Amino acid sequence: MSIAPDSPSAAVPGSEPVIVARAVAKKFGDFAALQGLDLEVRRGECVGLLGPNGAGKSTFIGCLYGAVLRTGGDLTVFGHDPAQNPRKIKERLGVVPQENALDEGLTVMENMRLYARFEGVDKKAALPRINELLAHMSLDHKKEAPIKTLSGGMKRRLAFVRALLSDPELLILDEPTTGLDPAVRHLIWEKVISYRQAGKTVMVTTHYMHEAEILCDRIIILNRGAVVGAGAPRALIDKETPGFVATFAHDFDARIKAELQPSWELFHQGRQCCVRAPKIDDLLALQQTLGTTALQLRPSNLEDVYLKLTGRELDDND
Amino acid sequence: MTDEFRTSFQLAWHVVVRNWGVYRKDFLANISPTLADPALMLTALGMGLSPFIGQIGGLSYAQYLAPGMVATTALFTAFFESSYGFYVKMTFESVFKAMLTTPIGVREVVMGEFLWGFIRAALMGGTVGVFLLLMGLLSNPWAVFLFPLISGLLAVPCGAIGLLASAMVRNINQFQTVYSFLIAPIFYLSGVFFPLGDRPVLGVIVQLSPFYHGVRLLQLSAWGQWQPGEIAWHLGLLLLFTAGLGYWAYRKVVKILTT
Repeated sequence: MSIAPDSPSAAVPGSEPVIVARAVAKKFGDFAALQGLDLEVRRGECVGLLGPNGAGKSTFIGCLYGAVLRTGGDLTVFGHDPAQNPRKIKERLGVVPQENALDEGLTVMENMRLYARFEGVDKKAALPRINELLAHMSLDHKKEAPIKTLSGGMKRRLAFVRALLSDPELLILDEPTTGLDPAVRHLIWEKVISYRQAGKTVMVTTHYMHEAEILCDRIIILNRGAVVGAGAPRALIDKETPGFVATFAHDFDARIKAELQPSWELFHQGRQCCVRAPKIDDLLALQQTLGTTALQLRPSNLEDVYLKLTGRELDDND
Repeated sequence: MTDEFRTSFQLAWHVVVRNWGVYRKDFLANISPTLADPALMLTALGMGLSPFIGQIGGLSYAQYLAPGMVATTALFTAFFESSYGFYVKMTFESVFKAMLTTPIGVREVVMGEFLWGFIRAALMGGTVGVFLLLMGLLSNPWAVFLFPLISGLLAVPCGAIGLLASAMVRNINQFQTVYSFLIAPIFYLSGVFFPLGDRPVLGVIVQLSPFYHGVRLLQLSAWGQWQPGEIAWHLGLLLLFTAGLGYWAYRKVVKILTT
């Protein structure tokens, strides 16, 4: 099972937009879950929505197919407003919701046949389609199994099969691999990548930066219901947190502060001090000055960007 | 507009298919209480009390009670399905979370639930009717053909009450309160067990209960009393309640299934 981290983008530059959000807002009473969200997703792109719990990822996803009604701004999916005409949109998308929401009273096959009906899949085409997708997800031996007897990983895979029944143009994945073992996670990544290679559009929310880097052409980071950063994973890293990071034990805190250069950044993760510097040589020199080896010495990554932009990178003395 | 209606109806029908798929898995357990309850009532009250009561308007007490048993089946089938049943689907099984990502919308969910309630009540009401016929309790045997239709019509507003309860309760235990203070009084005081004709206050209040109008339609047909004015009155009000409660329930369910 190999996944190319640099899978080429299927997005044609300038291809038509699938999702266009302008100043989208959602209030629950006094709480503003989305405040002026702007974003655009084009056909063939895979876009990752990152952000802390409560940042508005699932709220925004709900807005896309009319499960959540926005309280402000403009939003179109395939050119339709989901608040006005959700069915026109829902006919063309597949959703893997955060909770699988499979029909527990039915078997695997009954679930899929029912959803093929819901999606308006032609009766003759439905059975071969279901069989093919179940085989792809290695679930073909479970056809007659009641949902309650499936493991968490199997249920997740089945939720994928369900989302793909109608061969949707847009696939929405809400935390697709949370709580799954690495093997299932890789299987799901592989499916998403092959789906993308067929020129489809994907929007995925995740808390796993590695997953976002593997799957997405573009990352959009949300915080408190607004976009705080957007771009290709590499470009985001180069823009927001360029350079390298060295991690030291907390005891070195005072001495690092004394050595800190203007172009460096000091931040804390748990009980560890992290220093970010433009060049790896800076950090190697710092090691020598401190007379110790860093616990970790690495290039900056998406997690650094995420922590910085969402303000979860704890400041000095915090 | 007609195209839109056809699509919407088709999608609502899928909801019926889904409910039937789950229902038939536990067919005996699902079907027995709705049939056992009226049978038990008829035995205990009809057979038990008949000798003490004498006749009501020329009918034995068991004959008096008979059409009410059809109504009872329809009421309980519809109410329990749309209260506990709907609430469990919505809250514990998240059935609608996934369903609403497909072309099915809340309107079709609600329409599907009403259709399903109608069909189930029609089948159950019809079955109870056949049972009554075999027991020789129908003065007008032809009524057995009307029972499914009236039971179905009766089930929709009763189902709407259940949906309203589902949309308003804060937890599943509160259905007990709805049952005790709304459904039970409706059930006991709507003329199933005793005629309301000479009770002025109750006779007026009960006009507000869709169940009562269904009960009266079933009684008139079971007893072979062809009274066009009264039939029109009860049928009209039953349909009015169906439209009113149905729409209200739809508005409430929209609010709870979309945020």
